[in-house]
Amino acid sequence: MQVAPIPDNEAERLAALYELLILDTPPEERYDKIVRFAAAEFDVPIVLFTLLDANRQWFKASVGTEVCETDRDASFCSHVILSDAIMVVPDALQDPRFADNPLVTGEPHIRFYAGAPLTLRSGVRLGTLCLIDRQPRTLDALDLGILGTLRDLVVMELTHASEAADA
Amino acid sequence: MPKPMQILLVEPEALLRRTVAMTARSLNLGQVHEAASNDTALGMLRSRPYQGAVISVECVGSGNQRHYDLSLVDQLRFGDAGVSDGRTMPIAIMAHQATPQLLDALRERKITRVILKPFRAKVLLEAIAAFAGPASPAASPFA
Repeated sequence: MQVAPIPDNEAERLAALYELLILDTPPEERYDKIVRFAAAEFDVPIVLFTLLDANRQWFKASVGTEVCETDRDASFCSHVILSDAIMVVPDALQDPRFADNPLVTGEPHIRFYAGAPLTLRSGVRLGTLCLIDRQPRTLDALDLGILGTLRDLVVMELTHASEAADA
Repeated sequence: MPKPMQILLVEPEALLRRTVAMTARSLNLGQVHEAASNDTALGMLRSRPYQGAVISVECVGSGNQRHYDLSLVDQLRFGDAGVSDGRTMPIAIMAHQATPQLLDALRERKITRVILKPFRAKVLLEAIAAFAGPASPAASPFA
């Protein structure tokens, strides 16, 4: 398993994340409805809105899992936040970065993963909106566009919440 | 660079509307204008020309009188609502179920595309993309 490197702007990234005061807060319908929509749109069993803390990934909203956080080292999302592109892993068992990942070899038995980074205007990437399936699959251009839009809606909600708190 | 197609989407569910409109813009499929109700849609249709519309229709009435509300489509196809190109504009309909009565009514109104529940953004976007070119004769009118 390849552990993702720590981003160069990690201190700035964590500061922006903590400033939102969102970690370990209760579920919110405005995020829950986006992950439910994504699960139905893409017909995937698991959808997560994740935030990357220093040593864990925490789920602000989720479909298909009761778990609310996992170790950062094993997370796919820690790879996603290294760039602005959507990361698609069509079959994790065929990908040397993830083939022996405990989230692939054990529960929840990830085979397909697609994660869109949640990038703030400042450029820091706080986490992901991601789709997970237990069977291999791919996304076409329309799918990628829709996932990007749903990610943008999550970021807009995050930003609006932050602006409202500042007002 | 060609001007983007102007498309009207009439759908009460805000998240679906937003997702379609934002994705269409990001993929250069067209400018999707959103309306949550028929009244809003009619006002928008009168205010500018559109190259296509995707319209969600709901069942109204009860018992034997239950039927799909096609009043907005009728305003476009048969009415004198002051909508340019309303009689010929390509229209896709979103409906929960394809009843024989609905299909007959849609044929009378020259509607060739019906999108059935569950409504997915991708299917709506494919319908919008199809407005730009001739429909494939082999393509199913249902999604």
